[in-house]
Amino acid sequence: MKVIEAKIVVLGSQGVGKTSLVVRYIGKMFSKHISPTIGASFFTCNISVGDARVKLQVWDTAGQERFRSMAPMYYRNANAALLVFDITSVSSFNAIKGWVKELQSNVSEEMVVSLVGNKCDLQESRAVTYAEASSYAASIGAKYCETSALHDQNIEQVFLSTATALLALSATNQTMRSYDSADDERQNGSPTEEQATGKVELPAWNTDNIAHGELQRNMCC
Amino acid sequence: MLFGPNLQRSYKYMSFASKMPSLRMDQIDLKCKNGCDYYGNPQWQGYCSKCHREQMTRQRRAEKASSNPSATLPKPEPKKPERGVKQVSHSSFSKFEEKRLRQSETSKKANLLKFSVFKKSSTEEHEHSEKRAHEFKIPAMVNEGMKRDFRTRFPALPAHVDRDSRAFVHSFIMDVIKCANVMTVDELSERVQRQYQRFMKHMDTSQHFVGVDSDTKELLMDFVEKHAMTYLHELPSVVFSPNGTDDERADRAMSERIQQLSWVGERHLECKLDRNQHACRQLVYKAISELLGMDSAASPGGKLARVRRCCRHVLALCGAPASADDLLPALIFTVLKANPPRLVSNINFVTRFCNAQRLMTGEGGYYFTNLCCAVSFIENLTAESLNMDKKEFDCYMSMPASIGGSAWAAALSLCGATREAEEQREAALRVLQDAREVQARAQALHTDALAFQEQIAKKVEDVLAKTPLEIKPRREIPRLRRSKTADASPLIDLEPIPTHNPPRSLATDTSEPPPPLLNFDVVSADNPQISRTIVENQVPTEEKDSIEDQIHETDSGEICSKTCEPPVAAQPTEPKLNILGFEVIEKPSTSVPPRNLEQTFELKQASSLELLTPSPLGFTPFDSRSIDELMTPDEFGSDSLAPGLSNINYDIDLSDLSGDNSVAEDAPKEAKDPFSPDGLKTTFDPFAPQTSAVAYKEVLDKFDEFTLTDTKPNQSFDPFDVIHRSDPFSPVLTVNMEHKPNDPFSPEQREASSILDDSDSPTSACLLPSPLQPQTSNKP
Repeated sequence: MKVIEAKIVVLGSQGVGKTSLVVRYIGKMFSKHISPTIGASFFTCNISVGDARVKLQVWDTAGQERFRSMAPMYYRNANAALLVFDITSVSSFNAIKGWVKELQSNVSEEMVVSLVGNKCDLQESRAVTYAEASSYAASIGAKYCETSALHDQNIEQVFLSTATALLALSATNQTMRSYDSADDERQNGSPTEEQATGKVELPAWNTDNIAHGELQRNMCC
Repeated sequence: MLFGPNLQRSYKYMSFASKMPSLRMDQIDLKCKNGCDYYGNPQWQGYCSKCHREQMTRQRRAEKASSNPSATLPKPEPKKPERGVKQVSHSSFSKFEEKRLRQSETSKKANLLKFSVFKKSSTEEHEHSEKRAHEFKIPAMVNEGMKRDFRTRFPALPAHVDRDSRAFVHSFIMDVIKCANVMTVDELSERVQRQYQRFMKHMDTSQHFVGVDSDTKELLMDFVEKHAMTYLHELPSVVFSPNGTDDERADRAMSERIQQLSWVGERHLECKLDRNQHACRQLVYKAISELLGMDSAASPGGKLARVRRCCRHVLALCGAPASADDLLPALIFTVLKANPPRLVSNINFVTRFCNAQRLMTGEGGYYFTNLCCAVSFIENLTAESLNMDKKEFDCYMSMPASIGGSAWAAALSLCGATREAEEQREAALRVLQDAREVQARAQALHTDALAFQEQIAKKVEDVLAKTPLEIKPRREIPRLRRSKTADASPLIDLEPIPTHNPPRSLATDTSEPPPPLLNFDVVSADNPQISRTIVENQVPTEEKDSIEDQIHETDSGEICSKTCEPPVAAQPTEPKLNILGFEVIEKPSTSVPPRNLEQTFELKQASSLELLTPSPLGFTPFDSRSIDELMTPDEFGSDSLAPGLSNINYDIDLSDLSGDNSVAEDAPKEAKDPFSPDGLKTTFDPFAPQTSAVAYKEVLDKFDEFTLTDTKPNQSFDPFDVIHRSDPFSPVLTVNMEHKPNDPFSPEQREASSILDDSDSPTSACLLPSPLQPQTSNKP
């Protein structure tokens, strides 16, 4: 059984609902196949995609503007990014553009990027149209999805699609820790997904294809 | 790291000392290491310039091939514009620190130079370090510690896994030590990371690790890292704030910076903290203590764990669904309040030498990233980042550090105090609990003891109920004695005697002397006057009888007895006498049974005194005198009796001594002589010459007579009762027994109380087991 370990970072301006998105996801999956560690800022979950399993490490980031400069430390070595914006706020959508630029400049390696328009329950005050957002997403090679953390819409789908994309990416990308775990086969039917963490084959720890840029080097102490 | 350079120096000196004992250096040592004829240069690692250049290019190429230069591993901190120097407030201490830092750096360099001079080249040094690998042994402690730790942590894993991991750690440590002097920190950290990968690969490929699942492998990785790094961490300037980095300086700058920012409070960072809330304070306090503990952890893993725990406390501080939005400010706040020592060094150490795999992923990595963010935020903190006016910010920054943040400092110190108080309270409660338990147990023990006592008492009662049979035989024995003694039936009569003096004929004679003996002794010891009164009281009654009526009789009786004495006849009569005396004594004893052996001892003492004292002093000469004198005070029969008595007594005594039990009696007297004269003569001598006329002497003299008489009978009695009495005192045999016990006591004459006791309880019989007394009492 193929297992992938991936790090996914949630980016976005303050108040767009990053945390509530994550919390909603955790809360929903809590009893199922997520093993949340403490808090909502960091958690790991296992998502089964087909016959493979994706072990996601979700890193929440502080959205405050003053911590903006710290972001590179978070998305360093990330395999996927959730760019969350508020569909009722144009500024948050514009901020996304800044994030994308930053990612593109700082992260050399391929990355799964998902654009998430949150608060889709507030259709009447929508400021960013679906078309606008989706076209932008297409322009950066990202999937676009509108969610509602309040009503719990599409959230699971976001993570699932991300996991699928990661699985596809892992075929070409060697950064991710992906491996076939033979011993997982026998546990295939078992509901405890937590055990599917065996790492038999370790990819060479290549320093050159780990995402980081000059910027973060300065930042990192 | 105050001691860092010094330690290193000494450490190096040591290795050098062992390496090269002499200062001599061969020409060839100065040559290029490559073997070309040029001279080598220490700065070129022992090569000549040409070879060095070639070597360097080769190295660089190799490195490029093996590892990408754009490593994830953090480069050494890009030199920050020396913030510490720019700081406005420079205390004299900080200047001193600066100086010390500079000195230490220069001294490091100087050391290197010095060594290279001696060593010919730094590549030589490289070689040397390789050689040092032989001399420089990793202390067995590391190995042993690993073994132990392995056994406790992975009890299920086979031994060769343990061996492999230890071998790896060994080679790893040696490699790092070897390279530490030659490489920059970045190179070293890359090398370390490659080592980690090597071990990972080894675990994946080696046969030894076939059965090991991946989680355990991770644990093994941590295990290896922990032990290797724990050891290396202790070596100064090797991996922790190593040479050639700015870590120490950065530490100091950071510390100063944080101190300056101590005024930054929770509202500046917009985190929801309430210092008035107890739980909140507690959490902050815990987080801070964890953060401070990071410095004390030796391995990167340990430091990471500390950070993780700290962040968990911070998360708990933030509330239930804590997001990164809350976490980061709170963490920044915590760092500001904690001002952890050597923060930058620690962070650099972890980033460089922690297994990168873990650092990049996982919870620990996440929190560590947050910590890095916090530190970076603090470094770059401006008025903007705090959303405050620039002027205000500057104002805050320029004020002395001690003012700001005092509220929180107070709250935290309060927190510490309360925590301590709580701890102590808990401890006190625990102690109280323990005390209660102990008390309960004591109570239980007490009840047990009582129950046991009762049980024992019951058993004893049972036994007693059964034992009468046992007791009886004892009684029988005394009865036998009694029967023997009883043969001389007068015994029975004698017991009442003290009261009924007159009616007795022979017995009274003998009986008379003993009571006076006792009384006199008492008197003599205490006060002559009293003695006189007593004497007057008793003596009159007794002596009236004795002197007037009986004395003659007694004399005659005694004489008769002694004349009759030929062994058979003497025994019955004399025994009677003795028995009389003793039983007279015994009677009170029966009346005062509870008295102990001591009293009986004393009794004997008294008797012994009586017996002994007179013997040396006045055998022949005094007897007559004493009696005469006695008579003189005595109003009654002085005229008529004196001469007669004296003569008679005198004769009797002599006769007794000489004639009675020739062998047996001589012996006791002999025994007496050595003892009594020694002890008593000294005391008595003064009296003897002085008080020929004094009442004492008379009394004493009289006693002599009596004692003499007593001694005989005692001896004669020995076979029966006497033995028992003497037993407790001295196991000595035969006739002497009574005397001997007396002798040792005799010198103690002065003891008035004892003598009194004698009079009160002549319980010589008491010594013997109770059965005796009942017998005597029974008999009559």
